[in-house]
Amino acid sequence: MTRRALFGVAAAAVGTLWLAGCKGITALGPVPKISGDVVTLEHLIAHEEALVDLYATASRQSSGSADVIATIRAEHEAHLKQLRARLVLPPRLAGTKIAPSRGIPALPAGAAALSGALAVAERAAAARLTAQLATVPPGLARLLASISASEAAHVVYLRRSVSSR
Amino acid sequence: MKAKAEVAALQNALQAEEAASYGYGVVGAHLSGAAFSQATSDCVIHERARDSLSAMITALGATPEPAAVAYRLPLTVSTPAQAATLAVDLELSVVAGYVPLAGAAEPSLRQLAATRMQAAAVRAARWGAPPRSFPGLSPAP
Repeated sequence: MTRRALFGVAAAAVGTLWLAGCKGITALGPVPKISGDVVTLEHLIAHEEALVDLYATASRQSSGSADVIATIRAEHEAHLKQLRARLVLPPRLAGTKIAPSRGIPALPAGAAALSGALAVAERAAAARLTAQLATVPPGLARLLASISASEAAHVVYLRRSVSSR
Repeated sequence: MKAKAEVAALQNALQAEEAASYGYGVVGAHLSGAAFSQATSDCVIHERARDSLSAMITALGATPEPAAVAYRLPLTVSTPAQAATLAVDLELSVVAGYVPLAGAAEPSLRQLAATRMQAAAVRAARWGAPPRSFPGLSPAP
């Protein structure tokens, strides 16, 4: 390559960079949209966080079925850990809540009413997970199906904790 | 290729349902009263699930794998408590049997798998299974 040709290439490159600078970040192409999988996972994580918070509240006001509530709460924490592990976030965001807590609904007093309210939340959680299966990758779908089965079974343990008292 | 993977997942679930249908015959033989009625009801659920899976496999142009003449049970059953333990084992095997189908390409098959996994996990809990964070997944994540 001649010196003149080399100068020509260099000048063209500088010109391109200058133009790119004028365009700002758009020179890098359109800002990528957040994928649907990420949005779905964020919603599921937020709901699982809410369930963990719900059981934390329940454990504070329950006297008779504390063991069952603690066991189920630990399972929700395990679910949450697995869901979070599938969402890779920048270090500064990792470990923070995905969505601000919308507040935990007041739980009714009395063992039977409390158990009933938790059972309603469990059924809703299982249904929510089932509804999200269609669009997620196969591996995540299998995990969500397993978690939904775990949460559906929680209803049995909640009922039993009341009837055995 | 997609249909081939779906058939394999359906066959997997079918084998679990066939084994459960057989196993509940043993479970019921050692129970009486309400527990016997529950075992009978659960057995019918598995037989119907087996039949629906067979029909789905046939509709995809494949042949449902036939049930075995007999199945090796995971434990010897001679008491009602052992019968309940076997029922738990059968139900958890059914949950695991549907896991591949939960990752199928066809959304309706995923929904079917999840619904049946939930129902089997509920039945396992009723028969005395302890809580499990990730039923059907082995090893647990």
